Amino acid sequence: MTVTLMQGILISIFAIIAGIDFWLEGFYIFRPMIVCTVTGIILGDVKMGIIAAGLTELAFAGLTPVGGTQPPNPVMAGIMTVVIAHATGKNPATAIGLALPFSILMQYIILFYYSLFSVFMKKLDAYAEQADTKRFARLALLPTWIVSLTYGVITFLCVYAAQAPMKALVSSMPVWLSHGFEIAGGILPAVGFGLLLKSMLKTEYIPYLLLGFTAACFIKFGNLMPVAVIGIALALIEYTRSKRQRQNEEQIKRLIEENAGGSGDDEDGI
Amino acid sequence: MTKMASDESKKTPQRGKLTKKDIAQLGIRSLFMQSAMNYERMQAGGWLLATLPALKKVYKDDKDGLSEAMTANLQFINTNNYAAPLLLGLQASLEEHGEKRNTIDSLRIALFGPLAGIGDAITWFTILPIVAGITASFAKEGSFLGPLVFFLVYVAMFFARIPIAQLGYATGTRAISKIRENSAIVSRAASILGCTVIGGLIATYVQITVLTKIHVTAGHSISLQTQFLDRIFPNILPLGYTFFLYWLLKKKNISPVMLILMTFVLAVILSWLGVL
Repeated sequence: MTVTLMQGILISIFAIIAGIDFWLEGFYIFRPMIVCTVTGIILGDVKMGIIAAGLTELAFAGLTPVGGTQPPNPVMAGIMTVVIAHATGKNPATAIGLALPFSILMQYIILFYYSLFSVFMKKLDAYAEQADTKRFARLALLPTWIVSLTYGVITFLCVYAAQAPMKALVSSMPVWLSHGFEIAGGILPAVGFGLLLKSMLKTEYIPYLLLGFTAACFIKFGNLMPVAVIGIALALIEYTRSKRQRQNEEQIKRLIEENAGGSGDDEDGI
Repeated sequence: MTKMASDESKKTPQRGKLTKKDIAQLGIRSLFMQSAMNYERMQAGGWLLATLPALKKVYKDDKDGLSEAMTANLQFINTNNYAAPLLLGLQASLEEHGEKRNTIDSLRIALFGPLAGIGDAITWFTILPIVAGITASFAKEGSFLGPLVFFLVYVAMFFARIPIAQLGYATGTRAISKIRENSAIVSRAASILGCTVIGGLIATYVQITVLTKIHVTAGHSISLQTQFLDRIFPNILPLGYTFFLYWLLKKKNISPVMLILMTFVLAVILSWLGVL
Protein backbone atom coordinates (compact mmCIF):
# COMPACT_ATOMS: atom_id res chain seq x y z
CA MET A 1 0.00 0.00 0.00
CA THR A 2 1.32 3.46 -0.80
CA VAL A 3 1.49 6.37 1.62
CA THR A 4 -0.88 9.22 0.73
CA LEU A 5 0.14 12.89 0.79
CA MET A 6 -2.09 13.49 3.82
CA GLN A 7 -0.51 10.58 5.67
CA GLY A 8 2.94 11.85 4.70
CA ILE A 9 2.15 15.27 6.16
CA LEU A 10 0.66 13.82 9.36
CA ILE A 11 3.68 11.56 9.91
CA SER A 12 6.00 14.54 9.33
CA ILE A 13 4.11 16.60 11.92
CA PHE A 14 4.38 13.76 14.39
CA ALA A 15 8.10 13.46 13.54
CA ILE A 16 8.54 17.13 14.48
CA ILE A 17 6.95 16.52 17.89
CA ALA A 18 8.84 13.27 18.52
CA GLY A 19 12.02 14.90 17.20
CA ILE A 20 11.77 17.75 19.72
CA ASP A 21 11.09 15.17 22.41
CA PHE A 22 14.22 13.20 21.45
CA TRP A 23 16.28 16.39 21.36
CA LEU A 24 15.12 17.31 24.87
CA GLU A 25 14.57 13.75 26.16
CA GLY A 26 11.32 14.83 27.78
CA PHE A 27 8.44 12.39 27.56
CA TYR A 28 10.05 9.46 25.72
CA ILE A 29 7.50 9.56 22.90
CA PHE A 30 10.64 9.40 20.71
CA ARG A 31 11.12 5.73 21.62
CA PRO A 32 10.11 3.22 18.90
CA MET A 33 7.38 1.93 21.24
CA ILE A 34 5.38 5.15 20.80
CA VAL A 35 6.68 6.21 17.35
CA CYS A 36 5.73 2.92 15.65
CA THR A 37 2.32 2.85 17.32
CA VAL A 38 1.44 6.42 16.26
CA THR A 39 2.78 5.87 12.71
CA GLY A 40 0.67 2.70 12.52
CA ILE A 41 -2.41 4.65 13.64
CA ILE A 42 -1.81 7.34 10.97
CA LEU A 43 -1.39 4.68 8.27
CA GLY A 44 -4.54 2.89 9.43
CA ASP A 45 -2.54 -0.22 10.27
CA VAL A 46 -2.71 -0.10 14.08
CA LYS A 47 -2.01 -3.74 14.84
CA MET A 48 1.07 -3.89 12.62
CA GLY A 49 2.27 -0.61 14.18
CA ILE A 50 2.04 -2.03 17.70
CA ILE A 51 3.81 -5.26 16.74
CA ALA A 52 6.56 -3.23 15.04
CA ALA A 53 6.70 -1.11 18.22
CA GLY A 54 7.52 -4.15 20.34
CA LEU A 55 10.15 -5.44 17.93
CA THR A 56 11.85 -2.11 17.23
CA GLU A 57 11.84 -1.08 20.89
CA LEU A 58 13.72 -4.24 21.80
CA ALA A 59 16.12 -3.78 18.88
CA PHE A 60 16.89 -0.26 20.11
CA ALA A 61 16.94 -1.04 23.85
CA GLY A 62 20.72 -1.03 23.99
CA LEU A 63 21.15 2.07 21.84
CA THR A 64 20.94 4.95 24.28
CA PRO A 65 22.16 8.53 24.06
CA VAL A 66 24.29 8.35 27.20
CA GLY A 67 27.09 10.81 27.87
CA GLY A 68 26.55 12.92 24.78
CA THR A 69 26.83 10.03 22.30
CA GLN A 70 24.28 9.77 19.55
CA PRO A 71 22.85 6.33 18.61
CA PRO A 72 21.10 5.57 15.30
CA ASN A 73 18.02 7.74 15.43
CA PRO A 74 15.07 5.98 17.14
CA VAL A 75 12.45 8.36 15.67
CA MET A 76 13.45 7.68 12.07
CA ALA A 77 13.92 3.98 12.81
CA GLY A 78 10.40 3.72 14.22
CA ILE A 79 8.72 5.71 11.45
CA MET A 80 10.53 4.02 8.57
CA THR A 81 10.09 0.50 9.96
CA VAL A 82 6.31 0.92 9.92
CA VAL A 83 6.24 2.85 6.62
CA ILE A 84 8.37 0.24 4.85
CA ALA A 85 6.36 -2.65 6.32
CA HIS A 86 3.15 -0.89 5.29
CA ALA A 87 4.34 0.01 1.79
CA THR A 88 6.07 -3.25 0.84
CA GLY A 89 4.05 -5.76 2.83
CA LYS A 90 7.26 -7.11 4.37
CA ASN A 91 7.02 -8.21 7.98
CA PRO A 92 8.13 -5.65 10.61
CA ALA A 93 11.20 -7.64 11.67
CA THR A 94 12.64 -7.36 8.13
CA ALA A 95 11.58 -3.73 7.88
CA ILE A 96 13.72 -2.82 10.91
CA GLY A 97 16.85 -3.62 8.91
CA LEU A 98 15.62 -1.76 5.84
CA ALA A 99 14.84 1.30 7.99
CA LEU A 100 18.39 1.48 9.36
CA PRO A 101 19.89 3.72 6.59
CA PHE A 102 17.26 6.40 7.33
CA SER A 103 17.95 6.12 11.02
CA ILE A 104 21.67 6.54 10.36
CA LEU A 105 21.03 9.54 8.10
CA MET A 106 19.27 11.36 10.94
CA GLN A 107 21.99 10.28 13.39
CA TYR A 108 24.63 11.93 11.19
CA ILE A 109 22.58 15.09 10.82
CA ILE A 110 22.30 15.41 14.60
CA LEU A 111 26.00 14.64 15.08
CA PHE A 112 26.73 17.42 12.63
CA TYR A 113 24.38 19.76 14.52
CA TYR A 114 26.13 19.00 17.82
CA SER A 115 29.31 20.39 16.30
CA LEU A 116 27.59 23.20 14.42
CA PHE A 117 25.62 24.50 17.41
CA SER A 118 28.89 25.08 19.29
CA VAL A 119 29.10 28.25 17.22
CA PHE A 120 26.06 29.72 19.03
CA MET A 121 27.94 29.73 22.34
CA LYS A 122 29.79 32.94 21.52
CA LYS A 123 26.58 34.90 21.10
CA LEU A 124 25.06 33.21 24.18
CA ASP A 125 28.13 34.29 26.16
CA ALA A 126 27.59 37.87 25.01
CA TYR A 127 23.91 37.86 26.02
CA ALA A 128 24.80 36.35 29.40
CA GLU A 129 27.34 39.07 30.01
CA GLN A 130 24.80 41.77 29.11
CA ALA A 131 22.25 39.97 31.34
CA ASP A 132 19.93 40.09 28.32
CA THR A 133 17.59 37.32 29.42
CA LYS A 134 15.10 37.72 26.56
CA ARG A 135 17.61 37.42 23.75
CA PHE A 136 19.39 34.64 25.58
CA ALA A 137 16.22 32.58 25.93
CA ARG A 138 15.38 33.06 22.26
CA LEU A 139 18.82 31.98 21.05
CA ALA A 140 19.07 29.07 23.50
CA LEU A 141 15.87 27.67 21.99
CA LEU A 142 16.89 28.26 18.37
CA PRO A 143 18.78 24.93 18.04
CA THR A 144 15.60 23.12 19.12
CA TRP A 145 13.59 24.82 16.37
CA ILE A 146 16.26 24.05 13.77
CA VAL A 147 16.23 20.40 14.80
CA SER A 148 12.43 20.19 14.71
CA LEU A 149 12.30 21.70 11.22
CA THR A 150 14.94 19.24 10.06
CA TYR A 151 12.86 16.31 11.34
CA GLY A 152 9.83 17.60 9.45
CA VAL A 153 11.67 18.01 6.14
CA ILE A 154 13.71 14.79 6.30
CA THR A 155 10.72 12.72 7.37
CA PHE A 156 8.55 14.09 4.58
CA LEU A 157 11.29 13.34 2.04
CA CYS A 158 11.86 9.83 3.38
CA VAL A 159 8.23 8.90 3.87
CA TYR A 160 6.56 10.47 0.86
CA ALA A 161 8.64 12.37 -1.66
CA ALA A 162 12.04 10.80 -2.18
CA GLN A 163 12.62 7.53 -0.44
CA ALA A 164 15.12 6.07 -2.94
CA PRO A 165 17.32 9.19 -3.30
CA MET A 166 17.51 9.57 0.52
CA LYS A 167 18.71 6.00 0.82
CA ALA A 168 21.28 6.58 -1.92
CA LEU A 169 22.49 9.67 -0.05
CA VAL A 170 23.34 7.61 3.02
CA SER A 171 25.27 4.99 1.06
CA SER A 172 27.16 7.61 -0.97
CA MET A 173 28.45 9.52 2.05
CA PRO A 174 32.21 8.96 2.21
CA VAL A 175 33.40 7.18 5.33
CA TRP A 176 36.15 9.69 6.07
CA LEU A 177 33.56 12.50 6.29
CA SER A 178 31.20 10.73 8.68
CA HIS A 179 34.19 9.45 10.65
CA GLY A 180 35.51 13.02 10.73
CA PHE A 181 32.24 14.21 12.33
CA GLU A 182 32.54 11.53 14.98
CA ILE A 183 36.15 12.47 15.73
CA ALA A 184 35.29 16.16 15.96
CA GLY A 185 32.56 15.23 18.44
CA GLY A 186 35.12 13.42 20.57
CA ILE A 187 37.58 16.31 20.61
CA LEU A 188 35.29 19.37 20.86
CA PRO A 189 34.60 19.02 24.62
CA ALA A 190 38.26 20.05 25.00
CA VAL A 191 37.18 23.60 24.04
CA GLY A 192 34.57 23.55 26.83
CA PHE A 193 37.12 22.31 29.35
CA GLY A 194 39.62 24.92 28.14
CA LEU A 195 37.04 27.61 28.95
CA LEU A 196 36.26 25.99 32.28
CA LEU A 197 39.95 25.95 33.21
CA LYS A 198 40.28 29.57 32.15
CA SER A 199 37.78 30.58 34.83
CA MET A 200 38.57 27.99 37.52
CA LEU A 201 42.22 27.01 37.39
CA LYS A 202 44.73 28.70 39.66
CA THR A 203 48.30 27.48 39.78
CA GLU A 204 47.77 26.08 43.28
CA TYR A 205 44.99 23.80 41.97
CA ILE A 206 47.00 22.19 39.16
CA PRO A 207 48.10 19.25 41.38
CA TYR A 208 44.44 18.39 42.02
CA LEU A 209 43.65 18.53 38.29
CA LEU A 210 46.51 16.11 37.63
CA LEU A 211 45.36 13.80 40.43
CA GLY A 212 41.82 13.70 39.05
CA PHE A 213 43.10 13.09 35.53
CA THR A 214 45.38 10.26 36.61
CA ALA A 215 42.68 8.66 38.74
CA ALA A 216 40.21 8.69 35.84
CA CYS A 217 42.84 7.20 33.51
CA PHE A 218 43.58 4.21 35.68
CA ILE A 219 40.35 3.50 37.53
CA LYS A 220 38.16 1.70 35.04
CA PHE A 221 34.61 2.37 36.17
CA GLY A 222 31.40 3.37 34.43
CA ASN A 223 31.21 6.87 35.84
CA LEU A 224 33.24 9.56 37.58
CA MET A 225 32.21 8.53 41.10
CA PRO A 226 35.69 7.32 42.17
CA VAL A 227 37.23 10.58 40.98
CA ALA A 228 34.58 12.57 42.84
CA VAL A 229 35.25 10.58 46.02
CA ILE A 230 38.98 11.25 45.70
CA GLY A 231 38.11 14.93 45.14
CA ILE A 232 35.93 14.96 48.25
CA ALA A 233 38.74 13.35 50.28
CA LEU A 234 41.24 15.95 49.09
CA ALA A 235 38.76 18.75 49.77
CA LEU A 236 38.11 17.45 53.30
CA ILE A 237 41.83 17.23 54.02
CA GLU A 238 42.26 20.83 52.91
CA TYR A 239 39.14 21.89 54.83
CA THR A 240 40.35 20.40 58.11
CA ARG A 241 43.85 21.76 57.61
CA SER A 242 42.63 25.31 56.86
CA LYS A 243 40.25 25.25 59.79
CA ARG A 244 42.98 24.18 62.19
CA GLN A 245 45.28 26.80 60.76
CA ARG A 246 42.65 29.48 61.31
CA GLN A 247 42.13 28.37 64.91
CA ASN A 248 45.87 28.54 65.48
CA GLU A 249 46.07 31.99 63.98
CA GLU A 250 43.23 33.21 66.16
CA GLN A 251 44.86 31.72 69.21
CA ILE A 252 48.16 33.41 68.43
CA LYS A 253 46.37 36.69 67.85
CA ARG A 254 44.59 36.36 71.19
CA LEU A 255 47.82 35.59 72.99
CA ILE A 256 49.53 38.60 71.44
CA GLU A 257 46.63 40.82 72.46
CA GLU A 258 46.63 39.50 75.99
CA ASN A 259 50.35 40.16 76.25
CA ALA A 260 49.86 43.65 74.88
CA GLY A 261 47.75 44.52 77.92
CA GLY A 262 44.37 42.94 77.33
CA SER A 263 42.73 46.08 75.99
CA GLY A 264 41.52 44.39 72.80
CA ASP A 265 38.05 45.19 71.52
CA ASP A 266 35.27 42.66 71.78
CA GLU A 267 34.57 42.58 68.07
CA ASP A 268 37.86 40.86 67.29
CA GLY A 269 37.17 37.92 69.53
CA ILE A 270 35.04 35.66 67.37
CA MET B 1 36.69 37.13 58.90
CA THR B 2 34.65 39.96 60.39
CA LYS B 3 35.04 41.90 57.18
CA MET B 4 33.82 39.01 55.09
CA ALA B 5 30.78 38.52 57.28
CA SER B 6 29.81 42.16 56.89
CA ASP B 7 30.35 41.92 53.12
CA GLU B 8 27.91 39.11 52.93
CA SER B 9 25.29 40.62 55.17
CA LYS B 10 25.48 43.64 52.90
CA LYS B 11 24.84 41.48 49.87
CA THR B 12 22.20 39.11 51.20
CA PRO B 13 19.24 41.48 51.76
CA GLN B 14 19.18 42.36 48.05
CA ARG B 15 18.51 38.74 47.12
CA GLY B 16 14.94 37.77 46.23
CA LYS B 17 13.28 34.76 47.85
CA LEU B 18 12.31 31.63 45.96
CA THR B 19 8.94 30.03 46.62
CA LYS B 20 7.88 26.39 46.42
CA LYS B 21 6.32 27.23 43.08
CA ASP B 22 9.64 28.54 41.73
CA ILE B 23 11.31 25.26 42.63
CA ALA B 24 8.51 23.25 40.99
CA GLN B 25 9.03 25.41 37.92
CA LEU B 26 12.74 24.53 38.00
CA GLY B 27 11.76 20.86 37.85
CA ILE B 28 9.56 21.44 34.80
CA ARG B 29 12.08 23.72 33.13
CA SER B 30 14.77 21.06 33.44
CA LEU B 31 13.13 19.91 30.18
CA PHE B 32 15.21 22.65 28.49
CA MET B 33 18.53 21.07 29.53
CA GLN B 34 19.31 19.92 25.99
CA SER B 35 17.71 22.80 24.08
CA ALA B 36 21.08 24.13 22.90
CA MET B 37 23.07 20.88 23.14
CA ASN B 38 26.48 21.07 21.45
CA TYR B 39 29.88 19.46 21.72
CA GLU B 40 31.69 22.50 23.04
CA ARG B 41 29.78 22.97 26.28
CA MET B 42 27.11 20.25 26.02
CA GLN B 43 24.05 21.31 28.06
CA ALA B 44 25.37 24.71 29.20
CA GLY B 45 22.86 26.82 27.23
CA GLY B 46 19.93 24.65 28.28
CA TRP B 47 21.04 24.64 31.91
CA LEU B 48 21.07 28.43 32.05
CA LEU B 49 17.74 28.58 30.20
CA ALA B 50 16.22 26.23 32.80
CA THR B 51 17.46 28.22 35.78
CA LEU B 52 16.98 31.69 34.26
CA PRO B 53 13.65 32.65 35.92
CA ALA B 54 15.04 31.60 39.31
CA LEU B 55 18.19 33.69 38.76
CA LYS B 56 16.10 36.66 37.65
CA LYS B 57 14.01 36.40 40.79
CA VAL B 58 17.05 36.07 43.04
CA TYR B 59 19.04 38.95 41.51
CA LYS B 60 16.09 41.26 40.81
CA ASP B 61 17.47 44.68 39.78
CA ASP B 62 21.09 43.72 40.42
CA LYS B 63 22.13 43.63 36.78
CA ASP B 64 25.82 43.10 37.51
CA GLY B 65 25.01 40.19 39.78
CA LEU B 66 22.73 38.65 37.16
CA SER B 67 25.34 39.10 34.45
CA GLU B 68 27.96 37.40 36.62
CA ALA B 69 25.61 34.55 37.52
CA MET B 70 24.52 34.02 33.91
CA THR B 71 28.12 33.90 32.68
CA ALA B 72 29.10 31.44 35.41
CA ASN B 73 26.12 29.21 34.63
CA LEU B 74 27.07 29.02 30.97
CA GLN B 75 30.06 26.76 31.57
CA PHE B 76 30.44 23.15 30.44
CA ILE B 77 27.85 20.85 31.97
CA ASN B 78 26.55 17.44 30.96
CA THR B 79 24.40 15.44 33.29
CA ASN B 80 21.50 13.02 33.30
CA ASN B 81 18.17 14.70 32.61
CA TYR B 82 16.51 13.35 35.76
CA ALA B 83 19.52 14.30 37.90
CA ALA B 84 19.47 17.82 36.47
CA PRO B 85 16.50 19.01 38.61
CA LEU B 86 18.35 17.88 41.75
CA LEU B 87 21.33 20.02 40.79
CA LEU B 88 19.09 22.91 39.69
CA GLY B 89 17.32 22.87 43.08
CA LEU B 90 20.56 22.66 45.03
CA GLN B 91 22.13 25.45 43.05
CA ALA B 92 19.03 27.67 43.38
CA SER B 93 19.21 27.45 47.18
CA LEU B 94 22.89 28.49 47.11
CA GLU B 95 22.23 31.40 44.72
CA GLU B 96 19.30 32.53 46.85
CA HIS B 97 21.41 32.64 50.00
CA GLY B 98 24.24 34.51 48.29
CA GLU B 99 26.93 31.88 48.59
CA LYS B 100 30.32 32.68 47.11
CA ARG B 101 30.30 32.38 43.32
CA ASN B 102 33.31 30.09 43.50
CA THR B 103 31.60 27.68 45.90
CA ILE B 104 28.45 27.43 43.77
CA ASP B 105 30.35 26.86 40.53
CA SER B 106 32.76 24.33 42.03
CA LEU B 107 29.93 22.28 43.55
CA ARG B 108 28.01 22.26 40.26
CA ILE B 109 31.10 21.16 38.32
CA ALA B 110 32.00 18.51 40.88
CA LEU B 111 28.50 17.06 41.04
CA PHE B 112 27.24 16.90 37.46
CA GLY B 113 29.53 14.05 36.39
CA PRO B 114 28.85 11.61 39.24
CA LEU B 115 25.14 12.49 39.12
CA ALA B 116 25.15 11.75 35.39
CA GLY B 117 26.67 8.34 36.10
CA ILE B 118 24.12 7.48 38.78
CA GLY B 119 21.21 8.94 36.80
CA ASP B 120 22.13 7.12 33.59
CA ALA B 121 22.53 3.86 35.48
CA ILE B 122 19.04 4.23 36.95
CA THR B 123 17.10 5.70 34.01
CA TRP B 124 18.78 4.28 30.89
CA PHE B 125 20.22 1.02 32.16
CA THR B 126 17.62 -0.02 34.73
CA ILE B 127 14.22 1.60 34.18
CA LEU B 128 14.27 1.65 30.37
CA PRO B 129 15.22 -2.04 29.88
CA ILE B 130 12.61 -3.12 32.44
CA VAL B 131 9.81 -0.93 31.04
CA ALA B 132 10.76 -1.64 27.42
CA GLY B 133 11.07 -5.37 28.08
CA ILE B 134 7.69 -5.70 29.75
CA THR B 135 5.74 -3.41 27.39
CA ALA B 136 7.40 -4.90 24.28
CA SER B 137 6.16 -8.34 25.27
CA PHE B 138 2.60 -6.94 25.27
CA ALA B 139 3.15 -5.05 22.03
CA LYS B 140 4.54 -8.05 20.14
CA GLU B 141 1.18 -9.73 20.73
CA GLY B 142 -0.46 -6.67 19.18
CA SER B 143 -1.85 -5.43 22.52
CA PHE B 144 -2.37 -1.68 22.88
CA LEU B 145 -1.47 -2.08 26.55
CA GLY B 146 2.24 -2.05 25.54
CA PRO B 147 2.51 1.51 24.20
CA LEU B 148 -0.07 2.78 26.71
CA VAL B 149 1.80 1.57 29.80
CA PHE B 150 5.09 2.79 28.29
CA PHE B 151 3.64 6.26 27.75
CA LEU B 152 2.13 6.50 31.24
CA VAL B 153 5.36 5.42 32.96
CA TYR B 154 7.35 8.13 31.20
CA VAL B 155 4.77 10.86 31.82
CA ALA B 156 5.00 9.96 35.52
CA MET B 157 8.81 10.02 35.25
CA PHE B 158 8.64 13.50 33.79
CA PHE B 159 6.59 14.87 36.66
CA ALA B 160 8.95 13.20 39.14
CA ARG B 161 11.33 16.00 38.17
CA ILE B 162 9.37 18.34 40.47
CA PRO B 163 9.98 16.45 43.75
CA ILE B 164 13.56 15.80 42.61
CA ALA B 165 14.10 19.58 42.28
CA GLN B 166 12.53 20.13 45.70
CA LEU B 167 14.82 17.50 47.19
CA GLY B 168 17.84 19.33 45.78
CA TYR B 169 16.61 22.67 47.09
CA ALA B 170 15.96 21.28 50.59
CA THR B 171 19.42 19.67 50.67
CA GLY B 172 21.03 22.96 49.69
CA THR B 173 19.10 24.95 52.28
CA ARG B 174 20.14 22.54 55.04
CA ALA B 175 23.80 22.73 54.02
CA ILE B 176 23.90 26.52 53.88
CA SER B 177 24.42 27.35 57.55
CA LYS B 178 27.35 24.93 57.57
CA ILE B 179 28.85 26.55 54.47
CA ARG B 180 28.23 30.06 55.81
CA GLU B 181 30.22 29.41 58.98
CA ASN B 182 33.44 28.85 57.04
CA SER B 183 32.70 30.34 53.65
CA ALA B 184 36.30 31.10 52.63
CA ILE B 185 37.54 27.65 53.58
CA VAL B 186 34.55 25.92 51.97
CA SER B 187 35.14 27.86 48.78
CA ARG B 188 38.76 26.67 48.65
CA ALA B 189 37.81 23.08 49.40
CA ALA B 190 35.09 23.24 46.73
CA SER B 191 37.61 24.51 44.17
CA ILE B 192 39.86 21.58 44.97
CA LEU B 193 36.98 19.17 44.45
CA GLY B 194 36.00 20.96 41.23
CA CYS B 195 39.50 20.87 39.76
CA THR B 196 39.96 17.19 40.66
CA VAL B 197 36.74 16.34 38.83
CA ILE B 198 37.67 18.49 35.80
CA GLY B 199 40.85 16.41 35.53
CA GLY B 200 38.68 13.30 35.46
CA LEU B 201 36.29 14.87 32.93
CA ILE B 202 39.15 15.59 30.54
CA ALA B 203 40.25 11.95 30.72
CA THR B 204 36.75 10.60 30.07
CA TYR B 205 35.15 13.08 27.66
CA VAL B 206 37.91 14.13 25.30
CA GLN B 207 38.70 11.29 22.92
CA ILE B 208 41.65 11.25 20.56
CA THR B 209 42.87 7.93 19.18
CA VAL B 210 45.68 7.84 16.64
CA LEU B 211 45.19 5.14 14.00
CA THR B 212 48.59 5.52 12.32
CA LYS B 213 50.76 2.42 12.27
CA ILE B 214 54.44 2.57 11.49
CA HIS B 215 55.63 -0.28 9.31
CA VAL B 216 58.90 -1.61 10.57
CA THR B 217 59.32 -4.68 8.39
CA ALA B 218 56.94 -6.45 6.05
CA GLY B 219 54.14 -7.91 8.15
CA HIS B 220 55.23 -6.14 11.30
CA SER B 221 54.06 -2.69 12.33
CA ILE B 222 53.89 -0.59 15.45
CA SER B 223 50.61 1.11 16.41
CA LEU B 224 51.35 4.68 17.41
CA GLN B 225 48.46 4.71 19.88
CA THR B 226 48.57 1.38 21.71
CA GLN B 227 52.27 0.64 21.49
CA PHE B 228 53.67 4.11 21.93
CA LEU B 229 51.36 6.82 23.32
CA ASP B 230 49.40 4.55 25.69
CA ARG B 231 52.67 3.27 27.09
CA ILE B 232 53.83 6.77 27.96
CA PHE B 233 50.54 7.75 29.60
CA PRO B 234 46.93 6.97 28.70
CA ASN B 235 44.88 9.92 27.44
CA ILE B 236 48.02 12.00 27.03
CA LEU B 237 46.71 13.55 23.80
CA PRO B 238 43.36 14.67 25.30
CA LEU B 239 45.20 16.30 28.22
CA GLY B 240 47.77 17.89 25.93
CA TYR B 241 45.16 19.23 23.52
CA THR B 242 42.97 20.59 26.33
CA PHE B 243 45.93 22.47 27.79
CA PHE B 244 46.88 23.71 24.35
CA LEU B 245 43.37 25.17 23.95
CA TYR B 246 43.50 26.56 27.50
CA TRP B 247 46.76 28.28 26.62
CA LEU B 248 45.30 29.72 23.40
CA LEU B 249 42.23 31.00 25.30
CA LYS B 250 44.07 32.44 28.27
CA LYS B 251 47.34 33.70 26.85
CA LYS B 252 46.54 34.34 23.20
CA ASN B 253 42.94 35.49 23.72
CA ILE B 254 41.70 33.46 20.77
CA SER B 255 37.91 33.19 20.62
CA PRO B 256 36.26 29.81 21.33
CA VAL B 257 34.57 29.91 17.91
CA MET B 258 37.98 29.92 16.21
CA LEU B 259 39.01 26.95 18.35
CA ILE B 260 35.84 25.05 17.43
CA LEU B 261 36.39 25.65 13.73
CA MET B 262 40.06 24.74 14.03
CA THR B 263 39.23 21.51 15.86
CA PHE B 264 36.49 20.61 13.40
CA VAL B 265 38.60 21.17 10.30
CA LEU B 266 41.53 19.38 11.90
CA ALA B 267 39.33 16.37 12.74
CA VAL B 268 37.97 16.04 9.19
CA ILE B 269 41.41 16.46 7.58
CA LEU B 270 43.05 13.97 9.93
CA SER B 271 40.18 11.56 9.33
CA TRP B 272 40.71 11.93 5.57
CA LEU B 273 44.43 11.28 6.01
CA GLY B 274 43.62 8.26 8.14
CA VAL B 275 45.57 9.57 11.14
CA LEU B 276 42.57 9.71 13.49
